[in-house]
Amino acid sequence: MFEFIISHYNYWMYIGLMMVGFYAMMVKRNLVKKIIGMNIFQSAIILFYISTSVKKGASVPILEHAHEGHGAVAHAVDVMQYANPLPHVLMLTAIVVMVATMGVALAVAIMIYKRYHTLEEDEIIMAMKRG
Amino acid sequence: MKILSLMTVFLVGAALIYGTLDMPKWGDPQSPASTHVSPYYLNHSLEDTATPNVVTSVLADYRGYDTFGETVVIFTAGMACILLLKAGRKRRGNGHV
Amino acid sequence: MILSFDLILLLFVFICAIAAITIRDLLSAVVVLGAYSFFMCLLWTEMAAVDVAFTEASVSAGIGTVLMIGAVSKTKRRSND
Repeated sequence: MFEFIISHYNYWMYIGLMMVGFYAMMVKRNLVKKIIGMNIFQSAIILFYISTSVKKGASVPILEHAHEGHGAVAHAVDVMQYANPLPHVLMLTAIVVMVATMGVALAVAIMIYKRYHTLEEDEIIMAMKRG
Repeated sequence: MKILSLMTVFLVGAALIYGTLDMPKWGDPQSPASTHVSPYYLNHSLEDTATPNVVTSVLADYRGYDTFGETVVIFTAGMACILLLKAGRKRRGNGHV
Repeated sequence: MILSFDLILLLFVFICAIAAITIRDLLSAVVVLGAYSFFMCLLWTEMAAVDVAFTEASVSAGIGTVLMIGAVSKTKRRSND
């Protein structure tokens, strides 16, 4: 049981982080707070994917002794020595897309503030109902 | 409303925690994610691309079109930001006239 | 991966996330979000994902914080919740 908790607690921490972001997106009424919640949510998802690439005792995925022989000499690579590179690549893309999404969301929030002079969701909805 | 949202959050969290019970151990070298496809890239990236950093060789060589699509996404986001902020300025200018 | 270091960093990340969504002053919340991003960056370095770590440090903690501060300075700083 204790070993099970040691080997799974980090997944539960990511889920807790994701719940914090989800709560902020759903309950907070301020638009910037909602965007902060979205950022936390996406970071938690990326953290989960990166954590699947971890191997015990593995190092960064940069091959050792690559430039010793001139040209590309095929070395026997010990796969267990390096972390899994594929989730890193995919999440590199996801981080950049996350910031692009955040930029567009902030631009929309600025536009909403210019029109309604408030960032609170309930006040915006009241102003929209008024016409 | 707040109670309903909180209940939804905890329901989603409970479902996900139920899902993690079947996950492999954290840092297990024999987990399916690290035994299935990635050894190919680790073994062949040096002779295919002559780059010691496997992450950049996969990012720019094997998945070059993926990275190209990412730049398209960033370009679209930048254009969207510029157009949104510019439209607001123009509308206010028209209102004053 | 170092288990105790990982646990401490995860706790810091969690505290930063809670603080970022509870602080009413939006500028402070954004700065705490920057601290969250840097702790996340440390966490990824600890998980041997160095490329992701420096992308996070430059893009999410740098440009993201700058964008957020710009948006908050153009709108209101106080939040009701």
